[in-house]
Amino acid sequence: MSDEEEILIEAKNLKKYFPIKSGMFSSVKANVRAVDGVDFKIKRGEVFGIVGESGCGKTTLGRLILRLIPITEGSIHYLGSNIQDMRNAELRRKMQIVFQDPGGSMNPRMSVRSIIGEPLIVNGLADGAELTKKVGELLEIVGLKPNHMTRFPHEFSGGQKQRIALARALSLDPEFILLDEPTSALDVSVQAQVLNLLQSIQKERSLTFVFIAHDLAVVRHISDRVAVMYLGKIVEMADADEIYNNPKHAYTKALISAIPKPDPSSLVDREVLSGDVPSPVNPPPGCAFGHRVSHPKYPDSINVDLSLVEVAPNHWVQPCPCCTEI
Amino acid sequence: MPKLLDIQGLRVHFETLDGPVEALHSVSLSVNEGEIMGVVGESGCGKSVTSLVTIGLATCDVDDGSITFDGDELIQKTPQRTQRILSFLKYFSSFFTLGLILSLFWTFLEPIQGLQISAVMLIAFSTCFVSTRILDAPRSKHEKFMRSIRGNKISMIFQEPMTALNPLYTVEKQVAEVLKQHNRLDEADTNSAMKIGKAIISPAEMSVHFFRNDWRGALPIIITSLVILAIHQTDNADSILRLIANQYAAIGFLVLLLNLIFWNIFTGNIDFTETTLMEPIEEGPVTITSGIRLVSNWANSNFALIFVSWLVIIVLLWIPFGVLMTIILSVAILTVPPIQISNYFRLDSAHTRQVVKILKEVKIPNPESVVKMYPHELSGGMRQRVMIAMMMACEPKLLIADEPTTALDVTIQAQILKLMKDLRDREGTAIMMITHDLGVIAETCDTVTVMYAGRVVETASVTELFANPQHAYTRGLIACTPSLSSERKSILPAIPGQVANPSDFVEGCRFCQRMERTGETLLKIPDYKEISPGHWVEMCPICLDANEDRWE
Repeated sequence: MSDEEEILIEAKNLKKYFPIKSGMFSSVKANVRAVDGVDFKIKRGEVFGIVGESGCGKTTLGRLILRLIPITEGSIHYLGSNIQDMRNAELRRKMQIVFQDPGGSMNPRMSVRSIIGEPLIVNGLADGAELTKKVGELLEIVGLKPNHMTRFPHEFSGGQKQRIALARALSLDPEFILLDEPTSALDVSVQAQVLNLLQSIQKERSLTFVFIAHDLAVVRHISDRVAVMYLGKIVEMADADEIYNNPKHAYTKALISAIPKPDPSSLVDREVLSGDVPSPVNPPPGCAFGHRVSHPKYPDSINVDLSLVEVAPNHWVQPCPCCTEI
Repeated sequence: MPKLLDIQGLRVHFETLDGPVEALHSVSLSVNEGEIMGVVGESGCGKSVTSLVTIGLATCDVDDGSITFDGDELIQKTPQRTQRILSFLKYFSSFFTLGLILSLFWTFLEPIQGLQISAVMLIAFSTCFVSTRILDAPRSKHEKFMRSIRGNKISMIFQEPMTALNPLYTVEKQVAEVLKQHNRLDEADTNSAMKIGKAIISPAEMSVHFFRNDWRGALPIIITSLVILAIHQTDNADSILRLIANQYAAIGFLVLLLNLIFWNIFTGNIDFTETTLMEPIEEGPVTITSGIRLVSNWANSNFALIFVSWLVIIVLLWIPFGVLMTIILSVAILTVPPIQISNYFRLDSAHTRQVVKILKEVKIPNPESVVKMYPHELSGGMRQRVMIAMMMACEPKLLIADEPTTALDVTIQAQILKLMKDLRDREGTAIMMITHDLGVIAETCDTVTVMYAGRVVETASVTELFANPQHAYTRGLIACTPSLSSERKSILPAIPGQVANPSDFVEGCRFCQRMERTGETLLKIPDYKEISPGHWVEMCPICLDANEDRWE
């Protein structure tokens, strides 16, 4: 993609710390550094994938982009204007979200019509017969039937619920949708249906997506650009094909090799990454991944500036001496 | 290889409000000794029901079929007639119990007559009770047999480890419970009589424990108590109380002042509870500013402690010595024995060592501290490892893993799969791996069974299945998985629709039903045939034809 294209979202040195409070007057003992200095730009009309293990801060980053939680430091700009200064109504009309658990993000006592129609009513865009018509259209877009409108969430399967959640996100005709692990609770066949739906909607309406997931095969399939997160930081960011064919950072390589391949003939004994993501309360200095695998060159990375560098066009990577070969 | 588990023609149904719903329709599959057998299919295909019926935990009724494990039959059918007699006996015994109670009341009015009726009722009730026990004996014997098998020879790992582990018990207790149930615990270090004796004779053990663990932390408490004791002995408690109370009040207010004014001025933070981000004090010469800042920093973090200790010391001095001693002694008498008794129920050290050894086998780092933890303190991958350790504790012959990695990340999934493969190679445990992820199947399994809508549609070795899938459902599952080699942004060939509701299942080919086909295939049950050695397929003519596949 060329640089002339419009930049929709830009994050600058984004940080989110959750204080750990204890004691009688809740004095702060430490901070969970969920997102710790992240910079990226998302162009209009692209699908930006974010991958990483649990506890890497993917979801927190997503919520920061939508201003669902306050930012500790840094800023996010939407079409040049800081989202902190935007009005709530304006922001929500342009940016929407689809959550991971489709059942948990819907009120079980509301019918599908009120679930999908609620954003329209709140924003005063439709009411009465017009609302019914509009909800019917939205349901058809996501591949359901308009007569499903009177049913309740428990009457639908997981894939259908995720379709309803998508219809709700589309109801205000936003420019940007954040998809937080939309398919990880679904079966493979339903996952394929939902992915196809997402792709066709994105193409038709030229939407901008941020796609958060821990399954790299899925992210590769749908994304234009992919960012790999580890312990609150982006360690590598590149075009989807580039990052899978030519990974630079050791963590990206480990993630790619961990994907189970549905082909028994190409089995190779791969190296399995040991241990879990360390606690983000007291992250190790320097390269966190080198610390996890206790790389011999890890001590060298402590005094190095680890902000991303561009090693190839549009391929950004953390230049640590232990995990990256440049 | 000999067959370890052999399921033949299993048919089960669930009783629902809308009548019986058939969940499994003549399922046949087998697991050989020491192999990993994968069962794949979508939600609602009957994978979990099959495994639950195998270990006897399902709440459905088995209509037909047999499950043979290692030569033993796992399904026991009670004849219809016996069932009816048993339910009659149940009614009768409750009737006689009611009669017995009423006749006992009758004895107040007519003693002799009442006692006679009571005796008759008692005899009738006993007859019912004894005959129930005799008729029910085969079932209870089978239940006992299943208990000895479950967890011992066949064990099961569930999908979500957090719900399978008990949040109220430590890891060591939960793992040891399995061993205790199957009499595999090592000999204990101390016998129970010694434990009880210890608990009774050493009430001070708890306090010794406390001081031994952290004597530095205990020093202020010891010194304070000694000083207070000394003050009380001098009979000057009143005047010293007045002195200390005033000093301490001054300190308390000073701390509050520092906290409210200086700290907030320096950090520029107005919110009292959010005085945060403990910035490190810069190195350098001590100035007045940095001194105040140091003190206020300390005071801020210890404010609550200072305030409370001030209150406690004043109270201790204010209470007369005799009353103080009475309170301390009665608290000690009331609290120490319960704590000692709870100590008695603690796991024996020999058993803890045994559990640590088991946890080491599943490669849990630092098992000595993990055994003392509760499930919520562990990460998802560690919980699943604990679950595997628990299930492998009795060295079972068959391990049923019901979606063991679905809730985990890819990296952790790779770890768990490798661990399970290693266990198979080392111990020779056969594994039945239930999953919907064909990647997992390709990585781990030797043979695969594909299930759809309560039936087995295809069985083959893993290489044969992926190289030469015969049934349309298998082809659909393989095609719809996104892989790293597929074309990016292409439309994935998804199987349209979803698994039908079990009450709407047709008699014939159920995959044709999903593809909305009409015709003869929906009416007749397709044959299940072996087309090449070890490759069994349901012979629906349309589903076998690859040209008929219509993916979305």
